[in-house]
Amino acid sequence: MRNFQICSRCVMDTTDSAIVFDANGVCDHCVTFDTKVKPKWHTGERGVQELRALVDAIKVSGKGKDFDCIIGMSGGIDSSYLTYIATEYGLRPLVFHVDAGWNTQVAVNNIEKLVDKLGLDLYTEVIDWQEMRDLQLSYFKSGVPHIDTPQDHAFFATMYKFAEQHNIKYILTGANLSTECIRNPIEWMYYQSDSIQLRDIHAKFGTRPLANYPVTSILRHKIWLPYIKGIKVVRPLNMVEYDKAAAGKLLTDLFEWQPYPQKHFESRFTRFYEGFWLPKKFGFDTRKVQYSSLIVTGQMTREDALEKLKLPVLDDATIRQEFEYVANKLEISTTELQSYLDAPNKTYRDYKSQETIYMLGAKAMKALGLEIGGKR
Amino acid sequence: MLRPRIMPCLLVHNGGLYKTVGFGQPKYVGDPLNAVRIFNEKEVDELMVIDIDASRIGQEPDYKLIANLALECRMPLCYGGGVKTVEQFDRIIGLGVEKVAVSSAAVDSPELVSNAASRVGNQSVVVVIDVKKTGFFKKYEVVTLNATQRTGLEPSVWAAKLQQLGAGEIVLNSVDRDGEMKGYDFDLIDSVRNAISTPLTVLGGAGSVEDIRGLVNRYGIIGAAAGSLFVFKGKYRAVLINYPSREEKAGIY
Amino acid sequence: MITIVDYGLGNVQAFANIYKRLDVPVAFAKTANDLTGATHIVLPGVGAFDWAMERLEASGMRTTLDRLVLEEGKHVLGICVGMQMMARRSDEGSAAGLGWFDAEVKRFDEAHIQGRTHLPHMGWNDVHPLDTLDLFQEMGPDVRFYFLHSYYFAPNDSGNVLALADYGDRFACAVRHQNIYGVQFHPEKSHSWGIQLLKNFARL
Repeated sequence: MRNFQICSRCVMDTTDSAIVFDANGVCDHCVTFDTKVKPKWHTGERGVQELRALVDAIKVSGKGKDFDCIIGMSGGIDSSYLTYIATEYGLRPLVFHVDAGWNTQVAVNNIEKLVDKLGLDLYTEVIDWQEMRDLQLSYFKSGVPHIDTPQDHAFFATMYKFAEQHNIKYILTGANLSTECIRNPIEWMYYQSDSIQLRDIHAKFGTRPLANYPVTSILRHKIWLPYIKGIKVVRPLNMVEYDKAAAGKLLTDLFEWQPYPQKHFESRFTRFYEGFWLPKKFGFDTRKVQYSSLIVTGQMTREDALEKLKLPVLDDATIRQEFEYVANKLEISTTELQSYLDAPNKTYRDYKSQETIYMLGAKAMKALGLEIGGKR
Repeated sequence: MLRPRIMPCLLVHNGGLYKTVGFGQPKYVGDPLNAVRIFNEKEVDELMVIDIDASRIGQEPDYKLIANLALECRMPLCYGGGVKTVEQFDRIIGLGVEKVAVSSAAVDSPELVSNAASRVGNQSVVVVIDVKKTGFFKKYEVVTLNATQRTGLEPSVWAAKLQQLGAGEIVLNSVDRDGEMKGYDFDLIDSVRNAISTPLTVLGGAGSVEDIRGLVNRYGIIGAAAGSLFVFKGKYRAVLINYPSREEKAGIY
Repeated sequence: MITIVDYGLGNVQAFANIYKRLDVPVAFAKTANDLTGATHIVLPGVGAFDWAMERLEASGMRTTLDRLVLEEGKHVLGICVGMQMMARRSDEGSAAGLGWFDAEVKRFDEAHIQGRTHLPHMGWNDVHPLDTLDLFQEMGPDVRFYFLHSYYFAPNDSGNVLALADYGDRFACAVRHQNIYGVQFHPEKSHSWGIQLLKNFARL
């Protein structure tokens, strides 16, 4: 058992069991950022040039079509700001939203405000709730940490499917280095696109077939779609100056956009998952990852992060209510939900996976300079 | 000053929320519980939830679902679908629902309306009248069981009878306008409005907040119900729960 | 302890849910025994007056309630028909009311109601509190609640009136006599205003 140690620069610590510290107590996340991520990350003048080139390519590919790209929109700050940027640069995006049954009112309201005020078209893919529910329960029963996979997996699967069907070559996502250069360790959040793992967990604990639920696979969206079908997933927020606080204020001023208390809280499930389940059951606090990204990008001080981390994400009263809400919605008793909380902790290694493909693929991508900022 | 009621009407089919066009072409809208929760947070005036299968296939209402929905509503809730007896009225109201709606059951046994009103009070007895233009002359006729059965009843006559029997609210639903989002059917509404003095709610055709404003301008105090309007957005009919804000509502009346 | 009288009528669950969200413990009372320890009593009610009185008598809680409210001065809040029951009698039926107020329950005069829609009085209406203490604290300038009724409470003592509303005629939609409160509207179904009112009641 390791002694507790926290990075001297960011706030990642030994709850990430794979963490490594150098002689100065600086963690490998920070080192990776300095040596591998930052050098390849261009905002400023060069970033704007890259973005303009991208925008031109998107416009050309979309000529004569109703829209030239699709934007995955959750109502969260990243995808909302991205939508604003896209329209500022003259793109004609279709706003694509996936409803997995856990939308909060704030998220729905934010999407509505943006779509109305920017005059954009919206497409919503509604995931079959009964299947979603069964799949989410399967993940609870499996004991693994990454129980938000059903939502995430569906999000990407449906977006790619839609792009393919409508012959759209560009998918814009709000993924960004500014707030995500330090990623959740795989131990905390295993790859959501791993369909082998998804199917195995479902096979072991599911009670109904996945007939409508959209399943994708790592090979499909890292190889087939980009290289064979020519559908690219791009991250424009990496090419502009993206300061979270400033972005939030701008969105509020221009669109009456409402902020969330924490990242990813546009889904009520994710709020429960990151705010309670993950810290309580596994001791994983995703705020450490998010704050660390903000620290290394100069948007937050380490002192401020440490202060915030002293308090729990959700207070007891809220936890009790959310616990009951989640149990009710999943149509189980709170006792049953508690039993999953108390059950032994498992990891992604306890189930089948495509992990080796990811490791090989990530190595290859990095070697070819194709991807920066991967998970580990 | 009493205000017109603006309410979403949600249809439940196979346990999920659906929206229809002309009572057909059901499109999946999602989980009822989440939708109701969002509407509650949007502070809707009241809410109607109708199970469109129950009566047609002779099923009992899904009491568990009803209880869960009622839990989420800090505004009045009206439930309809599969209700045929006074005991069911009682049971559903006991779950925390303010009003219970019947449609085909009232046609089959009109005394259900008066019996239920005696038991739970007429303010909790709602009768839904689905209307379609039928026959060679395209006259308005009351239909039931998801518009599969004709009754031979004329809407305004039937509505007046229901008021007499003790119905506390009439919901007038235009099958022809369902899902079209091209406006309410004023001719139909005129005929029924002039025949009764109980609260009247209309459903079928609302496509925009302007349609609701037009309705309120014409009739004053009325219930403006809508399905598609509060659940879809834009030309792709993208599912997105929406409802006028307090400011927007103030502009309607 | 906030105790909700569960005599078979009225949305007891809705009140419990609101107090739960406010983190205020509540108890349900189905028998006289269950009323032990009650400091604040919520008396809900829907349906017809006679039927409600009958159900309340049949529950066996009548005597205990009289004692708790009239002798021991426990706070009580009657809702809708629960409020109407506190009068001496109602136009709607022939049963005697609880008589906790010197008041009668009358049917709205339809001739005074404008427009085609008459009864029941159904929907969101403005409420004018005569003071903003007690039940109506922290409500903001624009107070409204959901109403669903055809009869209204008419107290003989105008000093009992806590809030007014208009429907054809002006009527008392909230009343108070010492520890006894009654509201005609449904706070359990009136969003934030209702939650605030129930919160205020718990604080008395």
